[in-house]
Amino acid sequence: MTDFIQLLFNGLVEGSIFGIAALGISLVYSVLRLVNFAAGDFLTLGAFTTFFFTTSIKFPFVVAVVISMVLGVALSLILEFILWRKLRKIRAGTLALFLVATGVAFIVRQSIAMLFGSDSRRFEIDQIKSFEFFGAIIPQAQLIVLVCSSIAITAIAIFIKKASIGKDMRAYSDNPSLAAVSGINVNRVIIATWIISGTFGALAGVFQGTVQGQFTNAMGLDLLLSILAAVVLGTIGDAYGALIGGFVLGIVMELSTWDALLGGIPSTYKPVVAFVVLVIVLLFKPEGIFGVKARKI
Amino acid sequence: MTKPLLTISGLEGGYGDIKILNGVNIEVPAKSIVTIVGPNGAGKSTIMKAIYGIANVTAGSVTIHKDGVDHDVLATKPYNLSKIGIGYVPQIENIFSAMTIDENLDVGFLPESGKPLGELKESMYARYPDLVSRKKDRAGQLSGGQRQMLALARALMSAPDVLLLDEPSAGLAPALVDQLFDELVRINESGVTILMVEQNARRALEISTYGYVLDMGRNRHEGAGKSLASDPEIVGIYFGKR
Repeated sequence: MTDFIQLLFNGLVEGSIFGIAALGISLVYSVLRLVNFAAGDFLTLGAFTTFFFTTSIKFPFVVAVVISMVLGVALSLILEFILWRKLRKIRAGTLALFLVATGVAFIVRQSIAMLFGSDSRRFEIDQIKSFEFFGAIIPQAQLIVLVCSSIAITAIAIFIKKASIGKDMRAYSDNPSLAAVSGINVNRVIIATWIISGTFGALAGVFQGTVQGQFTNAMGLDLLLSILAAVVLGTIGDAYGALIGGFVLGIVMELSTWDALLGGIPSTYKPVVAFVVLVIVLLFKPEGIFGVKARKI
Repeated sequence: MTKPLLTISGLEGGYGDIKILNGVNIEVPAKSIVTIVGPNGAGKSTIMKAIYGIANVTAGSVTIHKDGVDHDVLATKPYNLSKIGIGYVPQIENIFSAMTIDENLDVGFLPESGKPLGELKESMYARYPDLVSRKKDRAGQLSGGQRQMLALARALMSAPDVLLLDEPSAGLAPALVDQLFDELVRINESGVTILMVEQNARRALEISTYGYVLDMGRNRHEGAGKSLASDPEIVGIYFGKR
C-alpha cells in the first residue's frame, strides 16, 4: 500500500509536468500544424537559465523562474519571426517543418552545452524536506510542483475556454481560412500561442529539474517522447486533455515499476511504457481521450 | 446620384500566374441585393476571394462608401474588413464545427460594432429559433440547413453593412433553398446590403435588385434582377439547364 501511494504520488507529480509541457506542444500543433520537436529543449533551457540566475546572479528562485519564462517566450517569438512565419508563407510541408524543428532542437541543446557546460546541475533549493503520508515520502518541493502546475494548467484551460483571444485560438485551429475572414487577427493568435508555449515550456523545465534533482542538457530530449504521448493521449489541442493525458501517463509510467505487478519493470524502461501508450492510443483511439472525431495527427 | 455602398471597378487578378478576372465592374447600392451569375470558371467566387486576399489582385479597386467616407477595401487587412462593415460567408467550411453554436456567435462578434454582445446574440437566436436549444452543441452536429443559418448568423454578428455570400445555396436540399432565399430577403429587409454569387441563378435573380452576368472574368450582361431572370436569351445561354 505504501509503495502504491508513493508511486501514485510520483506519477501525479511527473504527470503534472507532462501536462504543462504537453499543453504547449498541443496548442502549437493545433494552431500552427507544427509538431514542435524543439519543445523538449526549451524545457532544458528554462531549467538552465533558472539555474544560472539563481546561482551566478543570486536572484531569488521565483524571480529566476519568471525571467526564464520571459526568455522562453522571447526565443519562441524570435523563431516565429525569423523561421516559422517564413516557412508558413512558402507553405512548407510536414517533413520540412519536422526537419527544421529537429534542427532547432539540436541548436538549442548544443547552445546550452556551450553556454552552461554539459555537467549536471542542481537547483539550490531544499529537496530534502519531506512529509510522510501513509508511509510514503512526499517531498515538499514535489508537492509544490504538483500544486503549481495543476493550478497553472487549469488557469490556462479556463483562459482558452473563456477569454476572447482563447476563443480566437480555438477558432483558428478549427478552421484557419474562416478565422482569417471573420475578423480574427491571425498574427495575434499565433503570437499568443507562442507566449503560452514559451511560458509553459520554461516552467515545465524548472519543475522537471526540481523533481529530477540533477539535470543535464539532455533532460528535455529524454522527456520529449513521454510528453508527445501525453499530447496524443489527452487529445491534441485540448488544454484539459493535456492535463489529464499527463496525469494518466505519469501514473501509468510510475505504476509500471510497481513490484506487485509481476515484479514491475526496471525504472529505466519507463520511457518504453510511454512509447507503448503512444502506440496503443494511435492504434485504437487516435483522437485521444476527449476527441470527438478522428483528427489527422 | 448617391454613391453605391460597394464599388468594384476594373478588378483584375487570379491565382498565381493564372488570370481569372479580366476587368470586373460591379456596383452595389446601399440596401440592395446584387447577384453575380455566370458559367463555371467565370470568376464569380474569385471576386470575393480577391477582396479577402485569398486571390491575387493585379489591377482595379474596391471601395466601400460609408458615412460619407470612402474606404479602400483592397488595402484593408482581411481581419479588419469587418470593421469597415463587410461580412463574408464562404461557400464551404463556413462554420467553426468543433466549437459550440454559442461560441461561433462569440467569434463573429465585433466589439467595434458598438452593439452589445448579448443583445446581438439574442437577436440571432430570435431570428433562428432552431439554434436556441442547441446553443451548447458543437456546430459540426448541425444539419445542412442549420449550418447555413449559423454561418449567416456568425457573419451578421459583426453587424455588417454589406454581406458577401459565396454560393449560399450550394449543397442545400431543394426545399431548404427556398427557405434560404426567403431568409436572405429578410436579412436584406433588416437593412443589410447583400452581394452574392450564385449557381442557382434564376432563383437568386428573382430576389435581387440587380444582377450581373460574368463570363471569362468580364462583365457580359447586367440588369434588374427579375428582368435578367426572365430574359430568354440569357436564360438560354448561361443557365439553360434546369
